[in-house]
Amino acid sequence: MTAPTVTSGSPVRLSTPASAPPPANAPATTPTLRAAGKRSLFWILAVVGGLLVAVLATVFAAGTGAGGRPLAADNAAPAGGRALAEVLRQQGVTVTVTDTLEETRAAASAAPDATLFTTDPDGLLTAERYGDLADIVPNTVLVDPDFLALQALAPGVGFGGESSSDELTATCALPAARAAQTLSPGGRTLGTGGLEIGDDLGSLPGAAGVTACFPSGDDRFSVVQLTSGSAEGDADDSAALTLVADATLFSNEKIATYGNAALALGLLGATDDVIWYLPTLGDVAVTGPPSLGELTPGWVTPVLVLLVLTTLTAALWRGRRFGALVPENLPVTVKGSETMEGRARLYSRSNARLRALDTLRIATVARLARQVGLARSATLDEVLVAVAASTGRPLDQVRSVLVGADPTTDRDLIALTDRLRELERATVHATAPGTTASTPASIPPKPASTGRMEP
Amino acid sequence: MTVTGRFVLLVALGVVPIVLFGNEPGVAVLVLLGWLLLALALGSLDLVLAASPRQLAVQRMLPRRVRLGESVTSELFLTNTGQRTLRGVVRDAWQPSAGAGNNRSTVTIPPRERRRVTLTLTPFRRGERRVDRVTVRSTGPLGLWCRQATLSAPGNIRVLPPFNSRKHLPSRITRLKELDGRTSVMVRGPGTEFDSLREYVRGDDVRSIDWRATARRNDVMVRTWRPERDRRVVILIDTGRTSAARIDDEPRLDTAFEASLLLAALAGPAGDRVDMLAFDRRVRGRVQGAQGAELLSRMVDTMALIEPELIEMDWAAVPAQVRAITSQRALVVLLTSIDAAGASTGLLSVLPQLTQRHTVVVASVTDPVFTRAARETATLDEVYRAAAAERALLDVARVSAAIRQLGADVVTAPPADLPPALADRYIALKAAGRL
Repeated sequence: MTAPTVTSGSPVRLSTPASAPPPANAPATTPTLRAAGKRSLFWILAVVGGLLVAVLATVFAAGTGAGGRPLAADNAAPAGGRALAEVLRQQGVTVTVTDTLEETRAAASAAPDATLFTTDPDGLLTAERYGDLADIVPNTVLVDPDFLALQALAPGVGFGGESSSDELTATCALPAARAAQTLSPGGRTLGTGGLEIGDDLGSLPGAAGVTACFPSGDDRFSVVQLTSGSAEGDADDSAALTLVADATLFSNEKIATYGNAALALGLLGATDDVIWYLPTLGDVAVTGPPSLGELTPGWVTPVLVLLVLTTLTAALWRGRRFGALVPENLPVTVKGSETMEGRARLYSRSNARLRALDTLRIATVARLARQVGLARSATLDEVLVAVAASTGRPLDQVRSVLVGADPTTDRDLIALTDRLRELERATVHATAPGTTASTPASIPPKPASTGRMEP
Repeated sequence: MTVTGRFVLLVALGVVPIVLFGNEPGVAVLVLLGWLLLALALGSLDLVLAASPRQLAVQRMLPRRVRLGESVTSELFLTNTGQRTLRGVVRDAWQPSAGAGNNRSTVTIPPRERRRVTLTLTPFRRGERRVDRVTVRSTGPLGLWCRQATLSAPGNIRVLPPFNSRKHLPSRITRLKELDGRTSVMVRGPGTEFDSLREYVRGDDVRSIDWRATARRNDVMVRTWRPERDRRVVILIDTGRTSAARIDDEPRLDTAFEASLLLAALAGPAGDRVDMLAFDRRVRGRVQGAQGAELLSRMVDTMALIEPELIEMDWAAVPAQVRAITSQRALVVLLTSIDAAGASTGLLSVLPQLTQRHTVVVASVTDPVFTRAARETATLDEVYRAAAAERALLDVARVSAAIRQLGADVVTAPPADLPPALADRYIALKAAGRL
């Protein structure tokens, strides 16, 4: 395996005169970039077209998906609130969408008399933030309040469980509720066991009264309004907190059924401005130790990206083939002794002891006949007699080894084979030229059947 | 197009500026993008500046033949016909069995100049070994990106049978020469030809004294004889399925080639005409009417391309093939395999037709594994193996006896010994005047 060598210094004129044209370029089998592009044009176009279709489909399908937050003003999904927001806008109400408490405050400072519409299904707001929420605008509509919200804003109001009544009718003095008359049945309720309905609310600071509507049993209502300040006409420092137990009432799916729409428009359409506030992660106070993402330096992600790209480049470097593989026709490989091995396994599997031993005996008898000087055509008995005579062993014993004994076990077979070999060795020893003295002189290797001797 | 390790390193080095300047995530991303753009720009520049691997003229200088086991030098001349210096790596894509080893070499070829790439080939399989392509990878001046193209540059080299048994040739030729000039007492038979008269020396057979010449010369003269000459030898090689079997890690066919080469090398100086035929169901190779040195070279040339075919030998067509070669009496050597009686019926059925007209020798390789296995009987498995081996040997003996009975001669030997054994049989036949 010697490395190839490159020799320089044999210029062009080695075989061609200097005036002759340079030798023609060898034809390349690798297609040029242009040829390769032309050949794979169809596939390139197909892939680009497929990607285009996929992107367009994603863009157009985005508006109809079921995603988005529930009751979001721009969510057209069944759980969204876009229908309500759009109707409010059509009625001339300015709907301002906010994501955090700070944005809500800013919006409220622009429109101090606005109604705040909020719901927090993910439980992102803390008790303090709910407390802050109550002071922003005079009218607040809180949909689907959670435990923290009730604790902070309406301590006397509890949960009432799922509504079991078949119809929800207003049965209260709230104008919006009266306009609505009925609500879609089912859904959550609020319990007002700790409050005196229609009375002043002593437990709430500055609370003027409690109005509960749409009962579905004792002390269970779907809408509860808490008012504070002077109830008689003076709207300036009066404040109302309306709790709507069930969020699905205002969803796109159900807003058009029963009196849901009337209730919603009655609650939200009273003022010229509505602040549509759905809390986001931006409202979560940052506490505790800094997260892993804040601790890692800014270069970590780019370095990871670079390492991935380096790996890809290295793969290209090592993986690029140096020309096509060269085919090689391999020869057939058959071992010549295959049939012998197969036959041996057949003997072994069928325990053909006698057959195996007989084969060995036949071969041995032929060799012994040659050894004692008999012709190939000598009969078996002649060979037995000659072998017995030359080895000086009893004829019966020789006959038993060469013909008679029948191996019944594997041990017998091995023992008989060993005796066969031993007899052969003894015969060779007895008839070897140097040991003629030990051979009984009375037994010359007489030509037993002269007529059948081979020339 | 491809990239080098240097380019990978360049991309990886982007870690340094990113870590140094990128404490802010936005800046780090900018640095990353900038570095990637820089690397791509440098790579593209390198690619544009690299010499085209297509502007290359390729010439080959190859020896036409090589004996199996020997080495030859393959020369590849690359002429740069472009305007830029080509730096890069060249791969001469030989078949693996051509034994090229490391077939990649680094070259630098200035424009309008030519370089020679030499490669030492040590083929390890008989037959035609080919090379079709040369792949050139041209690196740019910065060593970042490469251009790659595969050029068509066909070439081939014929790997001949090794003829290892030629080591037996000198001794056999010596013995052949000793046949010359022997007196008839040692060389008896109807085929020997009268050669010359010479003076009697003590030890010569008195029966070969030519009394008439003795009377003329006033000295005792004896007649001398020389072996017959200008006889025909037809070597028929069986390339059927049994010739594919490997015995002592050598296919039967290769042993048959060795034996026939030694026989032909011997028969040439002995003055006999040798024809060779490789046959299974159709003629795979034929050498006819070649004499002297041309005979051996044509034989090895023909043999180089012959591979065993996995089909049954058509023995019925053999007599006609032999008749087509010669109508005279000839020595027909059948190089085949003697197996069980069932597998040899085809051979046995056509032998009478051949032995009627010709002297026939059937040569077959025996497997030394059989004789070894027949001796080992220590364990039960070995006893069964020994029995199977003895069975196979008895089969061979039976078929051999049948062949002899049909008037043909049998030569069986292990692979290494078959060529000299066949040569010895030829000499013996020649000495006996049976050709």
